[in-house]
Parts: sequence; structure tokens; C-alpha cells
Amino acid sequence: MSVVASGMARPRRAPPIPLLLFAGSLILYIAVALWTGQTSQLETDGWVGLLQRMVALGIVAVGQTFVILCGSIDLSVANLISVGAVGASFIMQGDASMIAPAVAVVLAISIVVGAINGAIIAKLNVNPFIATLGVGLVLQGLLSASFTNFAGSVPPAFQAFAYGALGPVPYSVLGLFALALLAWWALRTTKFGAHLYAVGGNAEGARLAGVRTDLVVIGAHVVCSVLAGVTGLYLASRLRSGAPWVGREGVYDLESIAVVVIGGTLLAGGRGGVWGTLAGVLLFATLDATFNMLGVPPYPKLILRGAIVILAVAAYAVRSREHVA
Amino acid sequence: MMTTTARPELRKPRALDLAKHINVAVVVFVVLYVIVGFLQPSYWEPAGFMNFLRRSAPLAILASGQVFVLASGGFDLSMSALITLTVIGGSMLADNDPANTWWTIAALYGIGLGVGVLNGLVVSLLKVPSIIATLGMLLSLDGAAMMWSGGSPRGYLPDNFRAFGRLVIHDVPVIGSFPIAVGVLIVFTLIAYWGLHLTVFGRRVLAVGDNPRAAELAGVRVSATRVAAFVISALSAVTGGIMLGGFGGVSVEVGSGLALQAIAACVIGGVQLMGGRASVVGAIAGALSLFALFTLLNLVGLSQSLRDTAQGLILISAVASGAYRLRRAG
Amino acid sequence: MTTSALALEMRDICKSFPGVRALDGVSFDCAAGEVHAICGENGAGKSTLIKVLGGVYSPDSGQILIGDVERLFARPADARKAGVSIIHQELSLLPHRTVAQNVFLGLEPTRFGVLDRAAIRAGTVRLLKRLSSTLDPDARASDLSVAEQQVVEIAKALAFDARILVMDEPTAALDGRDAQRLLALVRSLRLQGVAIVYISHRMSELAEIADRISVMKDGRKVFTGPAAELPTSRIVRLMVGRELAQFYPPRSQAPAGAPVLEVASAGNRVLADIDLTLSAGEIVGVAGLEGSGKTELARALFGDLPFERGTLSIAGVQKELRSPRAAILEGVGYLPNDRKREGLALQRSSRDNVLLTLRAFAFALGRAKGAGMADAAADELLRQLDVRAAGFDQEIKLLSGGNQQKVIVGRWLVRDPRILIFCEPTRGIDIATKAAIYRIMRNLASRGRAILLVSSDLPEIVGVSDRILVMRGGRIVGGCDGGASEEAVMALAVGHQVETDAGEGANIGVAS
Repeated sequence: MSVVASGMARPRRAPPIPLLLFAGSLILYIAVALWTGQTSQLETDGWVGLLQRMVALGIVAVGQTFVILCGSIDLSVANLISVGAVGASFIMQGDASMIAPAVAVVLAISIVVGAINGAIIAKLNVNPFIATLGVGLVLQGLLSASFTNFAGSVPPAFQAFAYGALGPVPYSVLGLFALALLAWWALRTTKFGAHLYAVGGNAEGARLAGVRTDLVVIGAHVVCSVLAGVTGLYLASRLRSGAPWVGREGVYDLESIAVVVIGGTLLAGGRGGVWGTLAGVLLFATLDATFNMLGVPPYPKLILRGAIVILAVAAYAVRSREHVA
Repeated sequence: MMTTTARPELRKPRALDLAKHINVAVVVFVVLYVIVGFLQPSYWEPAGFMNFLRRSAPLAILASGQVFVLASGGFDLSMSALITLTVIGGSMLADNDPANTWWTIAALYGIGLGVGVLNGLVVSLLKVPSIIATLGMLLSLDGAAMMWSGGSPRGYLPDNFRAFGRLVIHDVPVIGSFPIAVGVLIVFTLIAYWGLHLTVFGRRVLAVGDNPRAAELAGVRVSATRVAAFVISALSAVTGGIMLGGFGGVSVEVGSGLALQAIAACVIGGVQLMGGRASVVGAIAGALSLFALFTLLNLVGLSQSLRDTAQGLILISAVASGAYRLRRAG
Repeated sequence: MTTSALALEMRDICKSFPGVRALDGVSFDCAAGEVHAICGENGAGKSTLIKVLGGVYSPDSGQILIGDVERLFARPADARKAGVSIIHQELSLLPHRTVAQNVFLGLEPTRFGVLDRAAIRAGTVRLLKRLSSTLDPDARASDLSVAEQQVVEIAKALAFDARILVMDEPTAALDGRDAQRLLALVRSLRLQGVAIVYISHRMSELAEIADRISVMKDGRKVFTGPAAELPTSRIVRLMVGRELAQFYPPRSQAPAGAPVLEVASAGNRVLADIDLTLSAGEIVGVAGLEGSGKTELARALFGDLPFERGTLSIAGVQKELRSPRAAILEGVGYLPNDRKREGLALQRSSRDNVLLTLRAFAFALGRAKGAGMADAAADELLRQLDVRAAGFDQEIKLLSGGNQQKVIVGRWLVRDPRILIFCEPTRGIDIATKAAIYRIMRNLASRGRAILLVSSDLPEIVGVSDRILVMRGGRIVGGCDGGASEEAVMALAVGHQVETDAGEGANIGVAS
């Protein structure tokens, strides 16, 4: 390790945020489990439970990473998650033969929403914050006007998505890590990935170099929306039905942005990656689990969570000499 | 960067200049309100207009506070939670005793001041982007409000507390009736207008939002300016919360969505996100437009939920048309 | 040199923006293996012309022929594919990505849809070799010096087999030694048959490198001819439309006054052993290569990158300048070297920008148009400075660089500090405004103010300063009198260090 820290080290190398977060989360989890004497949490079931807490936020946060890397942001994910969850359970109505059509419809809606988000931002030059906020409101309004409560249900076969397991490890956890691996590969080795970083780092420079910046932004939003739709499917599977508030209740819009930023991706775009995001998700899951072990009541939990979001970002933002607004 | 525009442009006629200075949101509001009046003529009467103003006053006040943070280049998403905390905290502190109202209000403004300072310091000293900082504050304040009330707030505030939102003075010459809320609205927005457009402080806020580094090198205290902007926003949230406490009962839902509505109102009024361009008149006109739109949708019998959809569409079209105009102008 | 068929021909190009005729029937051509320079004042239409050529703007009328084939560029990618590469004035590198990733941005070779990273790296190595550069293809762009970034820009431009290379003020941000290296590079590319369109404000460079020179003024091309027959004075006359009486104002004959600023054995993490005295009435130039610490010295004196050791006194009283605001309160002013990023609130008016410092120190709740801040007062000052704008309430981003710079100068004239630090005050600014800024500096000095001029432009340092300090490696390594030869200053700046490649010696500075 110390070999790296020789005179050859480049100036201003970013700290290895994903590693620090992973290690910190694990230490915190183990320490709290030992301290509270809940050593059963350190057995397989405890670890699996911890990982399972990551799934819903993890899927949508991977999508949010793509969007933030290209300098955009997506505030419509929470509402799209609700649309996905309600859409899936409404179309399935407990009928296993409707699984494929329901999944297809949800993914198609997600692609369209992502394309609309991207087009409003890239073609109409609307600030991404406003564009996705607006699209989110449109979705939520349409959904709440059509459904007021849990609508339909998912068949047992579909519940395997959330409850099935390969040995001790749930499919959903495997799926999340497969997704992260795929996202990492795409960001690192495809032209789309390279251009995503380029647009986030210097949009005008990328455009002058011949990159189709509009298509890149639209592509990133499609990826993000599709993953929000998948999160909706997962929640429908876990809750056995979808309600129009599942996305909002999980605060997935704000939390997904928070974990991406905590994971070291620049909010302005151009630098970062999917492992940092996953580490941020692990931190949130760990906090959840440790609060439970410590028996922190729900409201102080909320207060602490807010403070931790701020402090986690501050931990490495504070050294910056740049102005931040 | 275009370097060729330095040559003088042709002078346009004065009438056009004047038209350019009228905020688009003002026109939007007038059009919407006229339509509202066609559907429900009582809105055209002075009392109807006053009642409309009364109900839109909280949003207008929030928008005219939020505009300071937007002008400085940030966002204040914590407004919603601070409103909820104001209403719940108000009911806890006042404890149904009208004698407690005044010091309760003072204490609430104290809390607002603290929240604003904290937001500002987290952004300017800890360098946390304001979206994240105020989002964290939102979570914490929500938790604090729930904890304070033991999780199930209910009941009403004392009557003299509710007067700010509810009380209407009748038999006023010319206008007929005059709600206290409209008085609060007028006072708050005049102060906001003065603060942003007529004072040295306002120019500093705009300069910081435009280019903080340049402002710093010119000697502006960037951090102090940011903190002040967040404080104004927080104080507007407390004011809005006090009025909303008069409108209805105490609940955890009072503030939900209002920060985003305030931002939307500012954007409709031509305020530029990420700083540099802002107008209090625009923010208020935007808030009134948004509220007139809600009223209109109500009158045509659209469900509460579709209000969100309409708000989303108007938000996107307002910004898109602004961006289009900007591009056309080169 | 071969003057073969025309590589590029632009015919009767017109382009208008609302209210402005930016290009008015401009024709321009360039042959393979030729350097054709374009000069003109800011706003003459040079940048618009090359943006039309690069597909950033589409022309209202006119034709573009590349190798005798008419082309229409809808977007920059089209121009790049047709062999036209443009190095824009503002560097467009991705700060967080590697040299190789930057060089092949937009034309990454792929294999089965996956980036061929080996090919990207090998291609970068080949291109860098062609440019005789030893840059590490895996280095991050933000870790490179400005000169090194410029090399990456050129490699990037050549990556798509560019037959026509447009360079918009490539040496503006480079000091003398790096500029010479770049010119050598341009010469070698010319020998390789590349048609080069070269835009510069530096007259000496044009004489050195251009085969032909075209002069633009007010959106028209007013002259094209062989560079050899064109003396600098004639170019200036064509550009400005009149004779410039005296470029550098005469030095004052009076001896310098009392010391205003004294710094003794001061330093911080970039600077060491700084001793300097600045007296009332003198202009002291600070020269040095990029990374020599000259910008950091200016920032230290202004409290932006404060000294951590040593002493600093102003008018004989020891002070500690912990922030720009503290420095301003002690009577120091500072013109930052990056106008857009550090100087201007671009969406505010000229009035708001000229009053920024005054307002920074006024009573916060006082009237924005109070004493000294009324529109009339601001307008009067802006008129005295000869700031040209459609109106002083117009957004300052619409003004030319020269006019913007005058507004920043005006900001300090309002405050009238005892010590005024000018950092690269004329970078990217046209000749007439340069002369105006030199006159203002000299006027301030003659009124007893102390001026520090930090600049990479050697002729400017030598022409304007009463005294010159030369920096290297974060230290002041020597001094000369004003009017010393450029060679003498350069010798000090380079030191006895053996000439190494661009990678060395530039590690001191904070990457910009």
C-alpha cells in the first residue's frame, strides 16, 4: 500500500471514497451488533437482511448515477417508481400469465418517460431540476387521479423477484450486484459511457469535439427511468401490490441523489462512478439496520438521517476551495 | 462567446421597452384570473379578490422568500418541513392558550432564524450543495416536528394565532373587506422587493449568484450573503406557516410540496435557477398565477390530483418558453 | 513549402445576429502547407468566421469548399469529419479524464461496440510523438499545465486526420518559452502539409510564422497579402483604422516615492523567501514562466492565497491579509487574470459590475443607487473609460473582452486603492484597449499609486514596467530595470536549468 504514496503520487488525487464508505459501513454494522449484543445479526441472515435493504434504493441510485454523471438530475424517479409498482400490480391482477405483458408495459412507459425527460432537457433547454420535477408532478397527478389505494396484486410467481433466493442469497441482491457490474462495465468500456463523462465534464467541449450531447443526455435519462421502473416492479413484488404513494414514501428521488453524491460523484457531473453509489447505498442500509438494533425510534431516526446526509457529503466537500451553491 | 455584439444595437421604440419590462407572469396571472372570473363571477368582486389573495398569500410569501436563495444560486427545499414544524411547534408551544401566542410566534421566528443560519453555514462553510443540504435539513425538521408532537399532531391553534390566516376586517371603504393575511402579504412582499431590488444587499445577492468567485475577489462577503439569503427564506417559511396554521387544523401534511411550489412560482416569474437573474414581482406574480391555475382547475371540477399534473405542465412550458426566448435573442 | 491547391476556400460568407452583422461577405482561403493568419480587433468577426468554418454556426449565405468540394456543416462533428479541426480560444478539455480519452473524444475506435482502449492509447502515443511531446497518455487533463493542455488540444485536433487546422489565439495563455515551442510545432505541421489558419493578437508572432495575413474589421475582410511585405505598423493601422500614436506610455521621470508595500522572507506552500518592496508612483513588472509562482505571488499579496510565513507591511505598518476583503480594506486592489471566471458577474450590467466593490463595502441595507452609486455616476465613469456598449444596463457578457476589462479597471478606480495588482491585464484584448489600459496604469502611478504588473507577455512587461522582478520555482530570482531586453528577462526566468521537456519544471503551480 505504502508504495503508492511515493513521490510519484499525482497532486489532488481523490480519496478512495467507495472503499472508505464500504469499510466504514461494515465497521459500524459490526460494532453496533457487538455493542448491543445482537450477534445473530452477524450471521448469514443478518448480512443477507442488510444487503436486502440495499435493493430498492440501489437499483434507482445506479440509474441516478448515469444522469448525474452527465450533469443532469432526475427528480421524477420516485413518481415513476409508483407508476411502475401500480402499473405492474394493476395489469397482473394476480394472474401469472400477465407477468410478461405487465413488465413490458412498465418498461415501455419508463423508456418513454426517460426520453421525454431527456428531450425536454436537451432539446428545449429546460433546467433538468425543473424538467424532471415537472414530469414527476405530471406522473403523480395522473396516477393519483386514477388510483387511490393498492390496486390489483401480483401473482406468487412474480413475488419470487423479491422473495426468491439462490441458496442464502436472494435473487434481488444478486440482481443488484449484476446490475452494478453491468453499469460499471458500460460506463468504463462503451462509447456511451465515455461520452457521458464528457458531457458532464465539459458539455460545450464535448459538442465541439463532435459528441451528440443531446443524444447522450436522452440516453442517460432513459437508463435512469428504466431502472426506476424496475425498482417499481421490485416494490410491487415485495409489497405484493402497488400503491400510488410507494415511491414518495421511500423518498427515492432525494435519497437516490444523496447516495450518488455521498458516493463521490460530482453533482455537476463528469466524475464518479457506480461503486461509490453502491457504497453510499450500503451506508444508508447500514444506518437503517443499526438504528433498528439500537432501537432508535422512527422520528429521531429521521433527524439523524438528515444530519448524516449532510455530514457525509461535507466530509469531503469541506476541503474544496471552490464556491458551492 | 460572441464577440461581435459590441456594436450598438438599433434603439427600439419606448413602448416596446416598456412591454419588455412587464413580467410575463403578470400577464399570465391576469389572463388566468379573468377566466376564473368568467366561471365564478364572485371572484371579480372586491371581496372575492380579497379572499383569493388571502388564500394565495402563504404561497406568495414563500415565493418571495425563496427568490433570495434562488438569486444567490441555491435552492431551499427545507421550506416545507419548516412550515410543518412552525404549525406543529406553534400548537405545542401555545398549548391552546391565547396568552401564549405572542411569545410563541417570537420563538417560532427564532427557530426559523436558526434553521436559516444553519442552512447557510452548511452550504457556504461545509460546501455541501444546497440541494443536498436543505434536503438533509428537510428530513431532520420533519423528524423533529413528528418527535415534538409525539407522532400524531391534531387540534387547532389558539384563535388569536389563527387570526393571521383567518381574520377578515369587514366594512372597509372601497374594497369592502380586508383580510389580515393580505396585510401580511403586502408588508412581507414590500420588504422583499426593497431588499432584493433597492438595497446594496440585494445587488450582492445577485452578484454572488452570478459569479461567487468574482464577488469574493471584489470584496463581497460571500458566505455572509448566502447565510442572509437562507435566513430570509426560512423567515418567509415561518410567516407562511403561521398563516397556514390559521387556514386549517394542525397536521403533518401542512407544508408538503410547498417548497417545490414556491420554486415553481419563482420559475414561472422568470427567476433563473442557479442564480443571477431574479425578480420579486415575478415571484409573486408566479405564485398568484399558480394559485389562480389551481382555483381554475377546481372550478372546472378537476380532481385535486390532476392539479399536480397541471402544475408540472405549466412549470415545464414556462421554463421552456423562457429558454426559447433567450435563445432567439442570441 | 508547397503552395499546392487550396485546401480551404470560403466564399462571400454572411452571418447576422439580432442587431449585428457579424460577417459581411467575407472570402477567405488557405492552401495546404500554408499558415494564413487572421488578425483584427475584438469584435471584428474573426471568431464568428472560424465558428462558421467549424460548423458551430451555419452561415446565412456563402459557400465553404474543402478541397474544391462544397460542404455544409450542420454541427461541429460534420466539420471534423471533413478534416477541419478547430482549437478554440477557450480550452475544451475534460478535466477529470486522461490525455488519451481527451484526444479521441468523439471519435473513439470501437471493437464489437466496446471501446478499443489499446487503440486509443496507441493512437495517442503516436500523435504525441508526431508532436515531439513526452506527455503521459494516462495523465489527467486537470493535472497538466496550460502549455501541456494546449499540446493535448493539438493532438486532439489532429486525431481525425485534420487537413485544415484552425488555431484561435493558441499562445494567449502561454509564456514566451512555451509559445516558442508551440510555434515550432506549427512550423512542423506546415511542413507536413497541413493548412493552418492562425488567429493571434501578438504581432511579433505573425511576422515569425505567417505566410499570408488577412486583416478583418467590422465584419469585413479589409486586406489579404503576403506576410513578408507587411510591416507591423501597417497591420495595426488596418486593424484600428488609424495610427496608434504611442503604444507604451512614457515612463515617469520622477523618482519613486515612499515604500507602500514591504514583504520580507514571506512564503506559503507555493512561494518561498519572498522579499519585495513596492513604492508609490512606480510600476513593477513580475515576469516568469508558467508555474513560476507569479500568479500565486499576486494572490498572496491580495490575501487570496495568504502568506503563511514572513512579514508584510503596508505603509510601514505590519498587516496580515487573510482574505481578499481584508486586503481591499488595507488598500490593495486586484485585477484577476481570468476575466470571465474571476472578474465578472456576466449576467449583471456594466453598472452593477463597475460598482461591485463599492457595494461590497457599503452599508448592506443602504440604497443600491445611493451616494456614488447612482446610475449617472457609474455612467460617467464608464464613459470616461470609453466603455462601448449599447447601454450600460446591458448584460456585460454581450460586451467585447476589452470593454469588459475596462469595466473591471473601473471597479478599482472607484475604490482607488494604494496598491493595485494587474494580473495579465491584456490577455486576449485588442491593441487599442491594451494601449488604453497601459495609459490608465501610468496615470495611476503618476498619482502616487503603486502598481504591480504580473504578465506572461514579455514585450508588455518590458515596455510598461519601471522595474522588473523575475520569478522561478516560487522565488524571486532576480530583477532588471524597465526597458531591459526581453532576452535578459527570459534568461532569468529560465535560469541555468537545462532545457527539459514541458513536463518538468511546471509542477509547482496549482493546475488551472
